[in-house]
Order: sequence, then C-alpha cells, then structure tokens
Amino acid sequence: MIAYLHSVQSEWIKRRHSAAAWLTIIGGTLVPVIVLCIRFYYFDLLAKQNASADIWVQLYNRSWQYMGFFLLPIGVILVTSLITQLETRSNAWKLLHVTPQRFTTIFLAKLTVILVMLLFFFLLFNIGIYLTGVLPALLVKGVPFPSAPFPWLRYLYGNGQFLLACLPIVALQFLLGLLYRNFMVPIGIGLGLYIVSVIVFQWKYSYIIPYIYCVLVFNDGFHQVVRPASLYALAAGYFGMFCVVAYALYICKKEKG
Amino acid sequence: MDYCIEVADLAYQFRDGTPVLRNIALRVPQGAIYGFLGPNGAGKTTTLRLITGLLRMQTGAVRMLGQSFREHRLEVLRQTGCLIESPAIYEHLSAVENLLVLQRIYQCPKSDMMEVLQTVGLAAVASKKAGQFSLGMKQRLALAMAMLHRPKLLILDEPTNGLDPNGIIEMRELLKKINREQGTSILISSHLLPEVERLATHIGVISQGRMVFEGSLEQLSGLRQQVRGYLLDTTNNAAALELLVARNVQVVADAGRIQVPALPVAAIAELNSHLVQRGIGVFGIQPVKNDLETIFMDLIQS
Repeated sequence: MIAYLHSVQSEWIKRRHSAAAWLTIIGGTLVPVIVLCIRFYYFDLLAKQNASADIWVQLYNRSWQYMGFFLLPIGVILVTSLITQLETRSNAWKLLHVTPQRFTTIFLAKLTVILVMLLFFFLLFNIGIYLTGVLPALLVKGVPFPSAPFPWLRYLYGNGQFLLACLPIVALQFLLGLLYRNFMVPIGIGLGLYIVSVIVFQWKYSYIIPYIYCVLVFNDGFHQVVRPASLYALAAGYFGMFCVVAYALYICKKEKG
Repeated sequence: MDYCIEVADLAYQFRDGTPVLRNIALRVPQGAIYGFLGPNGAGKTTTLRLITGLLRMQTGAVRMLGQSFREHRLEVLRQTGCLIESPAIYEHLSAVENLLVLQRIYQCPKSDMMEVLQTVGLAAVASKKAGQFSLGMKQRLALAMAMLHRPKLLILDEPTNGLDPNGIIEMRELLKKINREQGTSILISSHLLPEVERLATHIGVISQGRMVFEGSLEQLSGLRQQVRGYLLDTTNNAAALELLVARNVQVVADAGRIQVPALPVAAIAELNSHLVQRGIGVFGIQPVKNDLETIFMDLIQS
C-alpha cells in the first residue's frame, strides 16, 4: 500500500507542466468562463436571473449542455491519452520498469492519477459554475447574490452520473495508450469512436457503444428513454472489462521498454 | 571472488526463431568497472535489457548482487541503477523534478538530489527544464537519476553515445570517481575500444550474440604482448620471398618488407642464417605485436 502511494506521488509529479495538466485546467474552466461571458453579454438579465429560484439549475443545465455532449468526452480522450503516453514520448518506460516497483503498482498508480485528474476537472468545473452565479453579484452593483441555496446534492448526483458515464472512455483510452507507441493511434481511435457515438446516438441499440454514455446521460436529462439495461451498469461494466484487459496486456508485454 | 552480476547460459531469439544471443556467460566482479564491448548489433543492449528485466528472459539465469533476479527483482532493483540506451528523462520537467520523480519511489533523502546533481555538474541548472539541455547534459542527468539512490551496481548502456570528446572524457572521469569513492560496481557497454580500455578493469567481448572473451584488462594486455609475426628487411626481397616460400614459410610482402608468421625465436634465427648464407643481406627483423584493436577485431571475427 505504501509503495502504491509513493508510486502515485511519483506519477503525480510527472503531470506537472504537462499538456494534460493544462488541458484539465482549461477544460474545467472554459465552459464556466463562456457561460459567464454570455451572462455579462445579456447584462440586463443578470439581476433577474440571480433572483430566480432556479438559478443554479439554469446554470447547471447550461454548463453541462456544452460539457456533457462535447467537451467532456473529447477532454477525457485527450487527457487520458496524454498521461498514458507520457512515458512513451519521454522514452521512459525503461526507466520506470527498472525502478523497484511491481508492475501492478505502476499500472494502478497511472490509472489513479488519471482518475484523480478527472475528479480535479469536475471540481474545477463545479467551482466555475458556482462562480458564474456569484461573480456578477460581486462585480456588479445591484445584482443580488443567488437567493436559492446551492443544490449540493443535485450537483453531486449529476456529476456522479457524468463521471460514471465517461469511465469507459478512460479505461479504453488507457488501454490503447499502453498498447500503442504511436500517440496518434489512441487519439484517432478515441475520436473516431466518439464521432460514431454522436452520429448514432438516436439508434435504439446505441447504448452498446462505450463512448456514448456522456451523450446519452445528457440526452436523458431531457427525454427519458427506456433501455433493457442501466446506462450506469453498462458504463461500470465496460470500465471494469477494459481495465482488466489493459492490465492483462500490460503485464504480459514481453518488451517493457 | 564475489560477483555482482553472474549470467549463465543466457539465450534469446526473435519470434521468427532468429537467434540474437547464444549461451552468454558473464561475470562482473564486485567493485569492478566491467567494459562490455562489441560492435553494433552484437547483442549488448539485448543482454543488458534481459539482465534488467526489460525483456522477458527465454533461457538462462541471472544473479545480481548475490540474488536471483527473477525471484528477487525488487530487492535487486532497489540496489541497482540503470541507464539503458538513450537517456530516459521527462523533458517537460526540470532536472530536480526529474530526480523528484525517482526520489518518491526510492524514498531517499531529498538532500541527495542536489548532491547527485553536484556530482554530475548540473547543480547550476537544477531548475532548468530538461528539454532545454544539450545531449551531454541529458546524459549526465540520466546518470544522476541512475545514481540517486546510491546503488551498489550501475548498469550503463553506451552512456557516451552522441557525446563530444570533451563530454566523453568528463563522463569517463565521473564514472571512475563514482567507482573509486562510492565503491559502486559498474557494467558499461560500448562499441568504442579505446574508451573501454581507458576506463574498465575487466572486459567482456561479445560478437554475433556470443561471448568471445572475458577477463581482466591485464589478461587482455597479455594478449597484446604476444607476437603475431615478424617483419624482415632484406637487400633483395624478391629472392628472399622465393627462398622462404621454397621452405614452406607462409610469407606476405608488406610495403617493401616481408612478413613472416610468429615462429619460434630459433626458427627465425635459422631463417636469417639461411638468407644470409644465400647472399641476401638481412638488415632488420622486427617483431609485430598485437595492438588492442587487432585483438578486438580478431576476437569479433573469430
């Protein structure tokens, strides 16, 4: 367990100044910044909106509209691939594999860092949404602070749904990143699968595609669709399956650097 | 004698069955600087990758620091530092951050990071991004990363590759210093004979996947002292050649001189008398000794 924690700490240092770290920060704050700009563009509505009882629901829906359908899946594809390919691009698998660590520890530490970054991304995004509600009141005289209490539970539940929905993407991108040395392969496959998901999301069997759950979770917010299996169970199942396959392929790799 | 690396019957072949290594046996004495010599493609890197577990072993046994590598991989790696092929560093991180990545794993004191940077001469650029380093600086950083946890054994695969002559000298002096001051055993591979000759105390030569020599530098120098032939200077080379061929001596005309094989001293004296008796003046008999390059070439071509 201690070796695992040390390994996670080591992996966490590697993401410093990396494109993946910047992408997480930019991805998490971009949509709230856009929403805030839109709110300031319609300046006259600021006071009325902040006084509204469902201000937080409005902000949540508006933010997730951009995030859930488009930015989250793309961001997860890019960040997971970038983190996984860090060793390949630095030619450092051989360095990592001659350190006194079990291969299982290395595998789990890398996956943990990706998941922690995903959580960080969600945290930033939610702080951003909160600020889009509060900042106009702080900056503009006459705009009240939102009168409705911040719906923590609803936000947590909604975030949990999206988090679960993007786990299959994390796991498959992780698998592809470990499998291929060429950075473009996992990115290409990931984007390809996402495009297919967007094209066929209205197909009645679309729920079998592992990259579609963010789109479906977002869509289900407006029209509830009855399916033979729960989206979340399917997403969790895919995540588990891809992780097991990724682990098996990683452990069985004959060349470790 | 205690050995820090003992490799026995190591063999490796590609998927299509092409053999890369055949029955490699290698023993690195404790405290030695072992030069692992061989031309490009001889199997040096494959051997080192097998020894360090980067390639899955097919046959053979590897013992490092007195323990079976297969059974005690983590304990062995805890006491070993490796630099395999080109330097493996994270270019988006600074020199000190690169070391921090490993410090977290080895849990060695943080003060060791600056100390090791000082040893390799990079203390002044500790917070500079490694991506901005020259190749020589990257090699030194990679060496610092291999040395951070004060290993008992360093395995270095062609660490002077791509370095300029000054960089090569610096690297050599650095390795000698580490060996001398910290008692670290070093296994260093190279295809540069003069480089290894100046650094190593023990030498192993690999060619076409086979070990063709293993011993101390003195043993190799012993081979150098052996006479590989004599050069004769005569007043009439053509007549001398004819006479020698008639006596079944394998001779070669070489730039106005006659080269005869390494015969016993008495036989050479007798040949001299024979030529003189036939009216051919002999004004020079020069023994030809092996130089290290010739020995190396003979070994790898044998």
